[in-house]
Amino acid sequence: MSTLGKAGRRVRTALQLLRYFASSQRYFLLPLVIILLLGGLLLIVTGGLSYVAPFVYTLF
Amino acid sequence: MAAVLGISGLYHDAAAALVVDGVVVAAMQQERFSRVKNDAALPKDAAFACLKWGDLRPSDLDSVVYYEQPFQKLERILLSSLRGFPRSLRQFPRAIRSQLADKLWVLDSISELLDVPRSRVHAVGHHEAHAASAFFVSPYERAAVLTLDGVGEDITTAIWLGNGNTLTPVATTAWPQSLGLFYAAMTAWTGFSVLEGEYKLMGLSAWGTARYRERIDRVLRLQSTGEFELDLSYFDQFNDTELGFGKRLEQLLGPRRQPNAPWDLRVSEDQHYADVAATVQQVTEEAILGLARRAQRETGASNLCLAGGVALNALANARLAKESGFARIFVQPAAGDAGGALGAAILGSIVRGDARPEPLTTAALGLPAKAAEAVELAQQLGLSTRRLQDPASTTASLLSEGKVVAFVQGRFEFGPRALGQRSLLARPDSAETCTRLNAVVKERESFRPFAPSVLASACGTYFDMEPNDMTPFMTTVAVARNDAPHPLGAVVHRDGTSRLQTVTAKSASSLHAVLNGRLALGEAPVVLNTSLNGRGEPIVASASDAIAFLLSHQVDALVLEDVLVNKPL
Repeated sequence: MSTLGKAGRRVRTALQLLRYFASSQRYFLLPLVIILLLGGLLLIVTGGLSYVAPFVYTLF
Repeated sequence: MAAVLGISGLYHDAAAALVVDGVVVAAMQQERFSRVKNDAALPKDAAFACLKWGDLRPSDLDSVVYYEQPFQKLERILLSSLRGFPRSLRQFPRAIRSQLADKLWVLDSISELLDVPRSRVHAVGHHEAHAASAFFVSPYERAAVLTLDGVGEDITTAIWLGNGNTLTPVATTAWPQSLGLFYAAMTAWTGFSVLEGEYKLMGLSAWGTARYRERIDRVLRLQSTGEFELDLSYFDQFNDTELGFGKRLEQLLGPRRQPNAPWDLRVSEDQHYADVAATVQQVTEEAILGLARRAQRETGASNLCLAGGVALNALANARLAKESGFARIFVQPAAGDAGGALGAAILGSIVRGDARPEPLTTAALGLPAKAAEAVELAQQLGLSTRRLQDPASTTASLLSEGKVVAFVQGRFEFGPRALGQRSLLARPDSAETCTRLNAVVKERESFRPFAPSVLASACGTYFDMEPNDMTPFMTTVAVARNDAPHPLGAVVHRDGTSRLQTVTAKSASSLHAVLNGRLALGEAPVVLNTSLNGRGEPIVASASDAIAFLLSHQVDALVLEDVLVNKPL
C-alpha cells in the first residue's frame, strides 16, 4: 500500500472523528480533539512516538 | 452468504475469528503464533491462519469487524480525564499517546494489514461483541446476556436480551463503576499481575476465610437492586495505570504484597492476603449474583449467557448456577477479550443476512499440529519417536505408570483453557502430583489447584453435579464427592471444589478416548488436565512448540497425534 494511500485513509478517519465530535452532545470536546489531531500529525511527520512524546507532554 | 473476519487487539489478548456463511470456521489468539503471552498486537498471524484454514484470501472477505468503537473509546478517555482533572493529568498523556499511536487509526491499520478495502472494515461495540460471542454460540434461542469486564468504550457492565439473531441492550453501567477494575486492583494489591493474575486471586481465595467483609463492603457497596457502587477514593486509576488502587486501600487492608515473593500460607502475613482474597471473591460473587438476578427480572429470560473477563471467574459461575434462578447458564471458553473477535465476526455475519452459528460444542478452533513435523524435528534433535497404533490407550497406560504426558491432538483451543488438544495430563489421585507439577513443571505458586477432565457420563459418580452447558469448557466448578470410587487428591482444591471439564467424543475426541482407556484399565475416567505451557509462556500451538516444551520442562513424554516422543534420559 502506498504512503499516499495510508495518509489518505488517516485524513478520512480524522475527518470522521471531527464529525463524530461535532455532533450536538460532544461539540465541547472538539477543541481538544483538534489539538490531539495536530499532535497526531506531528507523530506522522516526525515518524515516531519516542521522538515526539515530549511535545505531546508539553501540549497537555 | 458472507465471509467475515473478526478482530480483537491492541488492548489485551488479541485474536482473530472467521465466520463463513454463518459457520464458525476458525478462531485463534495471536499469542499462539507470536509466543508472547496475551499478545495485544494486531493479530496478523492469527488472521492469516484463520483465512488459510478457511481456504480464503483477504480479497474473499466480505467484511472485517473490529471489536471496539475507536471514537467512542477516545470520547470516554477525554471525558473521564476532564472529570478527573487535575488527578488525571499524570495519566492523560500516556492514554492519549496510546490513542494517537495506533488505536484511533485501528480500522485503517486493519485494512492495510490484510490489504482489504477500507470500506469493508467496520467496528462494533466492545460489550456487544462480548455479548454476541456468548449468546450466538449458546444453545439458547432466548436468553439474558450479562457482559462484565474492566471497561469497553465507556461501559463496564451490560445486560442484554438475546432473542434469535438479535441482541437488545437492556441496562448498562458506566466507567469507572467496574467490577473488573475492582478485581484487577485487588489482584495487584495481592502482588499478582493485572490481566494475568486474576486466576491466582481466585485460587488463593480457597485458602482464606472471608473475615474482612466489613472492610471490603466499604470499597464495593452492593445494592438490593442488583447494582453496585465502588468507593473511588480507594482507587487510583487516574494516577496509577499499573496497580489501579490508591493509598487509602493500603490504609484499609494493609500494604500491598510484594510481587513474586514466595508464598507460605502457614505464615500469618500470607494468610492475611488469603483472607482478603476470600472476602474479595465472596463480594464479587454476590455482586455478579445481584446483576444476574436483575438481568432475570428485566428480561424475564430463563437462561443466561455470560461474557467478558469477569465471566472467567468459575467460582462465581458455579454460584450463579445454584442461586441465580436461571435454569441454564452458558459461558464460552474465550470469554475474555479474545472472544470479542468471535463476537465481532458473528455480528458482521448476521448483519449480512446469515443465520447465527450452531451452538459451540468444542473449543478446538485453531490449527492442528503436524505429526510429520514432530518426527522430523525429533530425529534432528536425536529424540526417540514411535508411531502408535492406539495413542489413547498408550497415553492411558503412561498415566497409569505415573507419567506426566504432554498431549497434543487436533486443532488447538480458542481461549485460555486447555481442553484436551494442548494439555498436560497426569494421574488425578495423588496430591503429590499437584505439588510436583506446580513446583517443577509449571513453576507456579504452591496454592494453585489443577483441574480434572472427566468422562461426561461418569461426572455424577465423581462430582456432585451432572454435566451442564459450562462444564465442557471448564468455566464452572463442582464439589468433589466424598464417596467417589477413586481418590482425586491432585485435582480437588482446598475448598473441596474442582474446575472440571466434562468430556464427550464431540467436545474433545482424543481426550475422550484416553478417559475410556483409563476406564478399560480399571481406573477412574478422570485425568489431571492443565495447560501445555510453562511459566509466562503461551499454550503450545505447533509441533515445534511441543518438542521445545518437552525438552525444556520436566515431563515424561509427548504424545502428538499418533507419535510418541520420549524424553531423553
